Amino acid sequence: MSLDTAVQALVDAGAEFVIIGGWSAILHGSRFMADDLDICFSRKRENLRCLAQALAPYHPRLRDVPGAIFTLDTDLGGIDLLAEVSGLGTFADVKAVSIAVEAFGRQVLTLDLKSLIKAKRAAGREQDLRALPSWKASSRPGNHETPLGLKIA
Amino acid sequence: MAVKELRALTPEELGRAAERLRNPAAGSRMAAAKKYGIDLTLLITQLRLTPAERVARMLEVSQVAERVRGAARRRRQ
Repeated sequence: MSLDTAVQALVDAGAEFVIIGGWSAILHGSRFMADDLDICFSRKRENLRCLAQALAPYHPRLRDVPGAIFTLDTDLGGIDLLAEVSGLGTFADVKAVSIAVEAFGRQVLTLDLKSLIKAKRAAGREQDLRALPSWKASSRPGNHETPLGLKIA
Repeated sequence: MAVKELRALTPEELGRAAERLRNPAAGSRMAAAKKYGIDLTLLITQLRLTPAERVARMLEVSQVAERVRGAARRRRQ
């Protein structure tokens, strides 16, 4: 699995996206493993072209299309593309609650911790609910903008 | 509007966080997580790292897990 290569390819192609899900949690300090890379993407035509151009060399195969999600298998690992995120909304809503971070060898956007928890709670999957107590421990009560694991500049 | 940035904790912030994680206040979210069975001291280890280091370490773990799964598959065949 070389998901760092996938993120680099997406950034270098100019794709507009926000890292969500398990890898967002890892950026915030979670120790729960994440298999797939989950990203929320802009549905603008130009962005769809950038996404396709970035992932084409890695032979994306469509695994499923449950609702507004494309789940792909690629040579680099599984990548789930979400046009909307439960509990948060469309890409514009997701981008509004995202923060910049240097990781995967690039500067990328990811959800802030409060929004990540909100999305996971809204998704209501058992695997996410199991991880929630650990993530909630990383956020300060009454001050969601500056969770424990963050220094916000 | 400028985008906020996720950075590594300063030594002072890490010290405060580690203290709270080792001795969570009664009734806090941390106390609830500890009661749930989360080993909060492992979070301290993660918080010592930069976000990029957290990702790099998890990618390494994923790669090791994949190699182990591959070896187990080959043994079964």
